[in-house]
Amino acid sequence: MARAEHDMTTPPLDIDALRAEFPVLARTVHDKPLVYLDSAATAQRPQCVIDATTRFYSEYNANVHRGVHQLSVEASEAFEAAREKVRAGLNAKSEREIVFTRGATEAINLVAQAWARPRLEPGDEIIVSTMEHHSNIVPWQLVCEQTGAVLKPAPINERGELLLDELEALITERTRLIGLVHVSNALGTINPVERVCAMARERGIVTVIDGCQALPHVHVDVQTLGCDFYAFSAHKMYGPTGIGALYGREPLLEAMPPWQGGGEMILRVSFEETTYNELPHKFEAGTPNIAGAIGMGAAFDFLDRIGIDPIAAHEQDLLTYATDRMQAIDGLRILGTAANKGPVISFIVDGAHANDIGTIVDHFGVALRTGHHCAMPVMQFFGVPATARVSFGCYTTRGEIDTFLDALERARTMLA
Amino acid sequence: MALVELYQQVILDHNRTPRNRRELPAATHRARGLDALCGDDLIVELTVEDGRIEDAGWHGEACAVTTASASMLTEWLRGRSVDGLANDAARFRALLEDPEHPDDGEFNEINCLRAVSKFPSRVRNALLPWETALDAVSPRR
Ligand SMILES: Cc1ncc(COP(=O)(O)O)c(C=O)c1O
Repeated sequence: MARAEHDMTTPPLDIDALRAEFPVLARTVHDKPLVYLDSAATAQRPQCVIDATTRFYSEYNANVHRGVHQLSVEASEAFEAAREKVRAGLNAKSEREIVFTRGATEAINLVAQAWARPRLEPGDEIIVSTMEHHSNIVPWQLVCEQTGAVLKPAPINERGELLLDELEALITERTRLIGLVHVSNALGTINPVERVCAMARERGIVTVIDGCQALPHVHVDVQTLGCDFYAFSAHKMYGPTGIGALYGREPLLEAMPPWQGGGEMILRVSFEETTYNELPHKFEAGTPNIAGAIGMGAAFDFLDRIGIDPIAAHEQDLLTYATDRMQAIDGLRILGTAANKGPVISFIVDGAHANDIGTIVDHFGVALRTGHHCAMPVMQFFGVPATARVSFGCYTTRGEIDTFLDALERARTMLA
Repeated sequence: MALVELYQQVILDHNRTPRNRRELPAATHRARGLDALCGDDLIVELTVEDGRIEDAGWHGEACAVTTASASMLTEWLRGRSVDGLANDAARFRALLEDPEHPDDGEFNEINCLRAVSKFPSRVRNALLPWETALDAVSPRR
């Protein structure tokens, strides 16, 4: 596989130097060094991202696209430069295809309300996989209520892999849209997005890919993937919270009506007629999260500088190491054992509820996530109410995994 | 340390061998308590006669804190008046929310659940069985 080739040619990360870029990693929790294994919920931020946002506030804070004064010019330039960084990061054709949003959730809702709602007819069909985050399920349920369309779940297997043949069999002449998570936050599965998009494109079906967990871990090229829409949040990829973007192929975005009205999204307003702004501003009503967008640009710079290949090689090593050790633990079961996985391990332990594990390991400084991970259909599929989940980032070390495993052992002993 | 207090023997013992974890086919009152975020899902059942709780049981999936709380609650409920339950639940809540709160004379070992007051994210777990029991006897059912 391509990944293996990368492994041999990619110089390893300088982990100590990399960790030093993340100020929060130096803190302690309950008098223990922080072991942050919850990057899939939100990653930590490097100093360069923090600096980019504070620099905006302290040096050139102004509204964008609204003034002739110097600060406004500088702010607008930085804001649009961030859009170019996102474009380059996704390899979109044009900046017109990059709409800033509050995050993946808002990006998917935008597609649901501005693309799907005006187009879908009663009986039309939307397919999403069973492993979607709620943010790629609920917006479609809302649209189905609004239009009479039908939402159909595409099944997964016991390893947490999408069943491509079954997905294909679900497609009918009424299928209008397929929503798919690129990398699952609950199971780690990396989905064959390129193949699903090809399958959809042949039949004129629009594809919406949730790329939240993909950008920090794998190469993303929207043109190679062949998707129509790609949504993500910056905070999963070392950027700020409350900012993200929607990539949309230009002809689709062009044909869509605005979904929110206000300033920024108009060219001219009178009570007789309002002319909408050009792409992508048509979809960006109101003063945007300027600092956030600039911080997101800095996060793309950061990933570029460190390199997704060395990050992926490092994280795959951690994933293999942690998986092997966890599989050796009696009574521990990993949910999500796809052949192609991102650095996420969901697990349950006999006799130890995820909540109790989470509380106990926290006292040893280990931050992990417990619960349904906003993917309740996944929990239902595996017949569990909740799981514990560790997830890794570029700064995670084997030593931290050892600390986690020791803490987990303490939890098991305590609860036994 | 706080952790040892939360996972003290009494609580662990109730978690290992929960009391009254059974279905009550003759129950007169019943409610489901669901905390999807935490993955707690339980049913509390009560047999009430003349305003007195004659029998109490619970079953379901829950963490150690919820399990211990449900176990202790169902032991304690037997013989109590339905009318007093809301007041009892309010006293229990006060105990969980304030680490300085003195022990409640009537609660006996239930008092040990106050250890969750140092774990704000776990207070909801200790409360869930109580809220479910209240739900079961609330008039709108
Ligand atoms: C796979 C996936 N999709 C969507 C989301 C939603 O992201 P946000 O809450 O930033 O909009 C998340 C994060 O929780 C996620 O992991």
